Amino acid sequence: MDHTAMHEANALLGNPKNSAVLEMSFQGPKLLFHQPLQIALAGATMEIRLNGKKIKPLNLISVEKNETLQFGNVLNGKRTYLAVEGGFQSETVLGSQSQYEGVTKYATLRKNEILHTAGSTQNQKSKNLIMEVAKSFKNLIPVYKGPDYALLSEKEIKRLTSELFTISVQNSRMAYVLEEKLTPHEASLWTGPVMPGTVQYTPNGSLIILMRDAQTTGGYPRILQLSDEGINCLAQKSTRDPFQFELVEI
Amino acid sequence: MDKKTSFQFFLIHPNVVLLEWNETPSDSLLLELVTFRKLLLNKFETLIQVTQGYQSLMLYHSHPIKKRDVYHAELLSLFNSMSVDLSSKGKKWQIPVCYDPSLAPDLTSLAELLKLDKSEVIDVHANATYTVYFIGFLPGFLYLNGLPSALECPRKKQPSPRVEAGSIAIGGKQTGIYPRASPGGWHIIGKTPYPLFRPEQKKPCFAQAGDRIVFKSISLEEYKEMTYQRANGNLIIQPQ
Repeated sequence: MDHTAMHEANALLGNPKNSAVLEMSFQGPKLLFHQPLQIALAGATMEIRLNGKKIKPLNLISVEKNETLQFGNVLNGKRTYLAVEGGFQSETVLGSQSQYEGVTKYATLRKNEILHTAGSTQNQKSKNLIMEVAKSFKNLIPVYKGPDYALLSEKEIKRLTSELFTISVQNSRMAYVLEEKLTPHEASLWTGPVMPGTVQYTPNGSLIILMRDAQTTGGYPRILQLSDEGINCLAQKSTRDPFQFELVEI
Repeated sequence: MDKKTSFQFFLIHPNVVLLEWNETPSDSLLLELVTFRKLLLNKFETLIQVTQGYQSLMLYHSHPIKKRDVYHAELLSLFNSMSVDLSSKGKKWQIPVCYDPSLAPDLTSLAELLKLDKSEVIDVHANATYTVYFIGFLPGFLYLNGLPSALECPRKKQPSPRVEAGSIAIGGKQTGIYPRASPGGWHIIGKTPYPLFRPEQKKPCFAQAGDRIVFKSISLEEYKEMTYQRANGNLIIQPQ
């Protein structure tokens, strides 16, 4: 969901930026290490316990064999990314190492599942880096005009660019529905392609922001398009979080 | 062949361009879209994906598009000089469908809405030939064109929270098959035992844009038998 954080976690270990990582949303798992390994963390800050003892939130942690790392609740943002040296060795399906409902056997990780890594190449421990606990995530979401932007009235454009919007309880990796609505409309479009970041405007006025697991086609007007930075930033928000759209030029 | 209609060019993201044809969807436009898509994927190295709609193509590049005017002009030139093989028709597939009420929760209500007998709805649906316009919405969901006008109907006012995998449904001017369970607002009139999306296969979806589909009515017994074959991995569909 947050590519910036994913790339950051991988960069800390010198991994190719798209090496498979763990995405931990809202809270994280308890991991038992079967070999010594260095892990990197980026994105939201989560409470961490090493062998049951609370430790300072760190960006790089060296873990020994048989030690446990437990991730609690997020302290800021919503999603934390955990990278390992060389990336996780998850199965590649249709060219991706990600999990996806209906495509991979499971959509999420399960209890007692074993995760494979490339193994540690360095013997010496790197200095443990402290994470910025005070990190806050921006409230301005950059957007471009969507292909159907012309359907909007002056009044609606003003609303979209000056008011605060709130993420509703209906949100997932596929889409975020907003609480606020625009005026209902009757525009009926032939189904066309959409992409992550596309903002749809439904006939009853709802605004739906498509996220990373979105479908590839849709029939609702596409009024705005989030930039990559916009999607990464929005990914760190969830139910009841407010934000503002910032219209920018490509 | 008539002169091709030109497209509109929208840059919607630094790496992504939407091309839209201001023309009512038709089999000839479909052929142009399918042909152009293949041409573009062969031509541009940084083009990683092209998604198709009824009258549009979305081009995803791996890098930001530089010199947009030059790129736009190049696309126009490629499209205008492109030759379309009018005889190309894609493959024809026959999909077994069981229209038994136990598998068709909306058949009765839809027949009432259309003021037809249930058997008439089935006959009209099964006697038409449909064209796969594109794949979208869900992996393996085929957008089928060619629904006889007698079967056109508005979407359900209240979408069903769960439509079973394999369900054949009608909504608006379209008919389609749900490749997996999902919420849905179309009227469910039957079910196919055939698996529509198999990620483990080299070609996970058996059909592609431009192919044609016909539905073959099967009995409940045949449906059950085919479901059994499918569980054993013995259900394979071949083009006609």
